[in-house]
Amino acid sequence: MNALPQASAADIKGAAISIRHVGRSFASKTVLTDLKLDIEPGEFVAVVGQSGCGKSTLLRIIAGLDHAYTGKVLIESEGRDTASARIMYQEPRLLPWASVIDNVAMGLGPDITRQVALIRARKALEAVGLGDRGSEWPQVLSGGQKQRVALARALVSRPDELVLDEPLGALDALTRIEMQQLLERVWLEEGFTALLVTHDVVEALTLADRVVLIEQGEIALDFKLPFARPRKRSSVAFVNLEERLLAALLHTNHQPVEYVI
Amino acid sequence: MTDLTLDSIKPASGSSRKLWPTSLRFGLPNQKLLPWLLPITILTLWQLASSVGALPASILPSPTSVFFAAQRLILSGELQGHIATSFSRAATGLLIGGSIAFTLGLSNGLSRLSERLLDTTLQMIRNIPNLALIPLVILWFGIDETSKLFLVSLGVFFPIYINTLHGIRTVDSQLVEMARSYGFHGFQLFLRVIFPGALPSILVGLRYALGIMWLTLIVAESIAAQSGLGYMAMSAREFMQTDVVVLAILIYALLGKAADSTVRALERWSLSWHPAYRKGGLQ
Repeated sequence: MNALPQASAADIKGAAISIRHVGRSFASKTVLTDLKLDIEPGEFVAVVGQSGCGKSTLLRIIAGLDHAYTGKVLIESEGRDTASARIMYQEPRLLPWASVIDNVAMGLGPDITRQVALIRARKALEAVGLGDRGSEWPQVLSGGQKQRVALARALVSRPDELVLDEPLGALDALTRIEMQQLLERVWLEEGFTALLVTHDVVEALTLADRVVLIEQGEIALDFKLPFARPRKRSSVAFVNLEERLLAALLHTNHQPVEYVI
Repeated sequence: MTDLTLDSIKPASGSSRKLWPTSLRFGLPNQKLLPWLLPITILTLWQLASSVGALPASILPSPTSVFFAAQRLILSGELQGHIATSFSRAATGLLIGGSIAFTLGLSNGLSRLSERLLDTTLQMIRNIPNLALIPLVILWFGIDETSKLFLVSLGVFFPIYINTLHGIRTVDSQLVEMARSYGFHGFQLFLRVIFPGALPSILVGLRYALGIMWLTLIVAESIAAQSGLGYMAMSAREFMQTDVVVLAILIYALLGKAADSTVRALERWSLSWHPAYRKGGLQ
């Protein structure tokens, strides 16, 4: 299989995100302390860490859902200092009383004529392979299809930043692999900056340019992935990195994988 | 890349239910007639008991004499007049009480301040049975229209108020957060997310309110009125016209059923997205 074409520098329209000395406490509990992270335009960053390490809090701050933090978050896109961030949640969060296409059209906000919204929503639905399901209620879709509708809604406004809060966590293994391929495809096509929070080490290594491990509110590990896309999950280098990352997550000693072929 | 999507895999249709044609199952008649089976049986037994004289007409007149009473009152135009009067009282009271209740339910559901200010007071008033106010209401308004409208408005107020408030409170906060993140605020947020989310509960409130609406109106009309179905029944009692009394009671039942069916139709139409209200859905 040929590698998918990498997004060229010219059509990158992702946002640059820089996080400076960000801290966040809930009551007496400190979740993030003095965090520093710079994300380049169009970069796909996976944030991994154990439950309660603060990764979801970081994501909510970047997505603009949480304002009660200290420090600075700068998001810049093509000279504009306000980027359009979109978020995808673990649950699809579709309105059950709106048709699939109206749900997607919601992603364009309230200030757009319905006609234009529907045309753009139809395109976004086609891009996630659900072009013919627009008139149905969300309830009749499977879990994976609902999540694809949520992806179409997040992308219909062509955002320069997409924040993903374990969006594939509730899907079965096969649907998850399909969704990962879809995510990678649209990210390559659209060139937005992607920030993915996940528990799944393999998912992080499959999708991301760069993996950040957060531990007790601080960055414990931050490395770029050297693999070409699409990733081969069974390659020795991939599995080795997977083992290393797991060892770092679980605080066990990393032992290089041995192969006999 | 691969074109494999989940759409191409459809669940196998057909189940054990299809083994028997619907009409053969249990040998029952059409499902639509089933709810009427019991009322018709009771009516038949009642007629039989009256015909053989087991049921004296002074206690309970036979269905046929009730029918003739209806015929007589319809021909004289009396019955239509009473029904129209009662119906317009019920509708006006529902409109007044319902809209105040809906407005307060909305404002208390959407604003903490409004709830703190009003909810305790409303809950105190709620615990007074509205019919207990009849003596006071007659003193205030006499026996003209205002007293009936006041009682009906008060009666329908609480079911609609409480269910609107509850509906708005239980709107999925995840959906609200999602809509906010896409730039929906204020009225747009209300129209697209909060109101549709609260609608099932609001309609439940409306159904309760309709029941209370008839109850309150009939009692109010029996005590203090010069027209309407309740008045018709009470004046018939004074002349020992049991057939008219029974006719009035039957009309209450039909009106109650009609009101309930109207709201059910409203539910089916406005909640067609809801699995529980979908045609042929979970029943």
